[in-house]
Amino acid sequence: MEPAMGMGIVALMGAAATVAGCSEDLESDIGSQSNPNSQVQLAAQVGYPHRIFNKAISGEPPSNAMYCAVGAGVAMVLMSESVMSASPLIAIAIGAFVAALLNGVFSTTSYMGRNASQTRFNQYVYLDVLRNQILSLMGHAYITTFCIVLLSYVMWNQDLIGHPFPFPVIALIWGLCVGAIGSSTGDVHYGAEREFQDFKFGAGLNAADSGNITRYAEAGIRSSMDNAWFCSKFGGPVTGIAFGMTVFLDNWRSTAFGGWVSVAVGTAIVILLIIYNRKIETYARNKYGPFPEYAGDIEA
Amino acid sequence: MTDIITMLATNWISIIGIIIGGICIAVGVHFVPVGGAPAAMAQATGIGTGTVQLAAGSGLTGLLAAGYMYMTLSAVDKPGISEIVLICATGAVGAMIMISVTMIVGNWVYIYGVGVPPASAKVDYDPLTGDSQAPYVAAGTVGQGMPTVCFVSGAIGGLLGGLGGSLVYCMLMWVNGDPAISSIFAIGVFLVNAVLPSYNIQGTIEGFHDPKFKRVPKAMLACFIASLLCGVIAVMIPGAGGF
Amino acid sequence: MSEPTETANQIDAKGIIIGLVGIYIAGIAAPAGMPYLAFLAGIGALFATKMGADAVRRVCSYGIGTGVPSIGMLALGMGIIAAMFGLAFGKMVHAPFIGPIVGLALALAIGFVVGSLANKIIKLNIPVMERCLTEIAGAGVLVLTGFSVMIAGSMDFVVISEKVITTGYIAPVFILGALGILHPFNASLGPDETQDRTLIHAYSCGAIAMTIGGFCSIAAIGAVAGLITTVVGLAIWYVTFMGFVKLVKRDAGAGYVGTGLLPPGAM
Repeated sequence: MEPAMGMGIVALMGAAATVAGCSEDLESDIGSQSNPNSQVQLAAQVGYPHRIFNKAISGEPPSNAMYCAVGAGVAMVLMSESVMSASPLIAIAIGAFVAALLNGVFSTTSYMGRNASQTRFNQYVYLDVLRNQILSLMGHAYITTFCIVLLSYVMWNQDLIGHPFPFPVIALIWGLCVGAIGSSTGDVHYGAEREFQDFKFGAGLNAADSGNITRYAEAGIRSSMDNAWFCSKFGGPVTGIAFGMTVFLDNWRSTAFGGWVSVAVGTAIVILLIIYNRKIETYARNKYGPFPEYAGDIEA
Repeated sequence: MTDIITMLATNWISIIGIIIGGICIAVGVHFVPVGGAPAAMAQATGIGTGTVQLAAGSGLTGLLAAGYMYMTLSAVDKPGISEIVLICATGAVGAMIMISVTMIVGNWVYIYGVGVPPASAKVDYDPLTGDSQAPYVAAGTVGQGMPTVCFVSGAIGGLLGGLGGSLVYCMLMWVNGDPAISSIFAIGVFLVNAVLPSYNIQGTIEGFHDPKFKRVPKAMLACFIASLLCGVIAVMIPGAGGF
Repeated sequence: MSEPTETANQIDAKGIIIGLVGIYIAGIAAPAGMPYLAFLAGIGALFATKMGADAVRRVCSYGIGTGVPSIGMLALGMGIIAAMFGLAFGKMVHAPFIGPIVGLALALAIGFVVGSLANKIIKLNIPVMERCLTEIAGAGVLVLTGFSVMIAGSMDFVVISEKVITTGYIAPVFILGALGILHPFNASLGPDETQDRTLIHAYSCGAIAMTIGGFCSIAAIGAVAGLITTVVGLAIWYVTFMGFVKLVKRDAGAGYVGTGLLPPGAM
């Protein structure tokens, strides 16, 4: 392949990954999936019943791996010559649509199941909450799946990159990866800020306030969909950057360089990231200073 | 039946490779700073997700890079030891990139989104930079974010995880020569060796400075036995062309 | 957790027997010119899913420290290797029909060993760990073998390897099988969880896997057999999903509302 063409493909994959990361994070924020879900689940048990969407589909990485693997599997069937030799773009779109339907089914069962299992804490199953959020969840899941299946297709296609793994397996691995990144970066913005929006900015959640999530607005004019409004200002886009960076940097070094040079370039990237992390750590320490409540005798 | 004994006898080196790979994954999981669910509320130091998922996410990203490198190298000749070293290094660096990017962006969220400086509650001073930690831990929490020591530890964890996953893949490719079978088995072996250590640390650890890190030998023993079993079985499965 | 309506032994017996019978009917009938019976392997896998889901339900009522999903990923990781070894072993000794049983026996053994490792070496000290991990690993093998046989329409390792693994359909089967075992309990987590609701949910998750597997088998076996599996899967899914919603209504009682503010006393 021409080097320029290779770089173009890698850039395209990075762009698709950025969109996928962003929509993946917003999907999990609207549905309160992954780790912040523990607070939503806890809220009713400590006496704060709520109208917030509560879904847990076996953790974010497996559920995203499922959407992507199913999307790629369906696309693979449609593209195979014995079925209809569909064009890849249409096949991927239909595959992503099937994955979005599965997202809808799994979200419905987990919302109903989890709330019904908390009846004794006065936690209701609100059907309007379910109806309001479900299409938005499915829409975000569609975007995520479409982008990841597309980038897996580009990786797998013999004329483009030609990765030896089967197409659905590549999609499964990238799905697992986007779920892991989404739950470790963007979800923190939802869990530490949006869920506890009425607490003071500048500290993590005090263990004493566990379960006391922001829920009055959601009982009235707002809904869980507004989590996307809040998190799309920061949490969603940075998740996109993280996943896009992972896909781009990893493929760039193996496309642009070969053999040991690509290993050296990768190591250099990691060392640069460590130095950069040290920079922002010192910045935060100097800017914010120690917590005033601290009473120990270690000097800041 | 003789087929099976022959396969075991010829592929013993692959079994050893799978065991080494499994132990690398197990130790790697201990290096990755994961705070579990509390970290997602900036309530604990580390990455705010589950151990297994994060290890799998990074290790398998490395596996993708390693698989591509294996294909490129095997186009010339059947990969020998020096090629395997290069493939494993590629996989290890791929996993390191994924986990470093995740940690740096995670720190962005902690610093700019939540407004907290990264700090560990398990040690008073960062063993690498010497910075004091306790005054920067918010009230009612056990730290937040990834200070330098956690970051470096996480990068080492990614390295070991990616190395282990790639080594298992290479060993399986030696046996069956089929990337499809090898990749899905490598995922299987990876998951087994990532879950057992995560039980060992009970879901959360800060890195090599955490007292829980002393439990590594137990996980190594458990993963040695589990990988031995998986390895013995996996090397007896020939590729589709082997019949 | 309420009193179980079905005991663990009953569920295990049904899961293993129906699972194996389904796989065998499909695996024998399909190469003999009756690929339309391939969906029976999926039915077998459905019962195996339920067996795994019940084991997850029992073991996760103890705190296992790292969330529900990990235990299923562990079991499926062991399961995929054991399942494929079983099928390959059958091929090697020229008796493909012993494949699923060898795979199952091996998985039960590995599951027991890993369960003991978790309890004895890692010291999790969960009394049901060995038994539940054995069951989940067994369920994982039956699910993966069942859906692979269903998609390929054969128990021959070479056929499965060509039609299921090389094409990559194993990936959706792997992860949907895992979610079928994990999701039922995870989605019903809470003190008012009931066994019948969790288990009907396991059928419904298994049926989703069956539907998608059936769609994949359109490319692997042929349009008619694939569509039969897909339609049967969809029908089972519809019935069990409606049953699940009914049980949610029963368990939520007065809390199953169309809309409304927070319950009295919560503001």
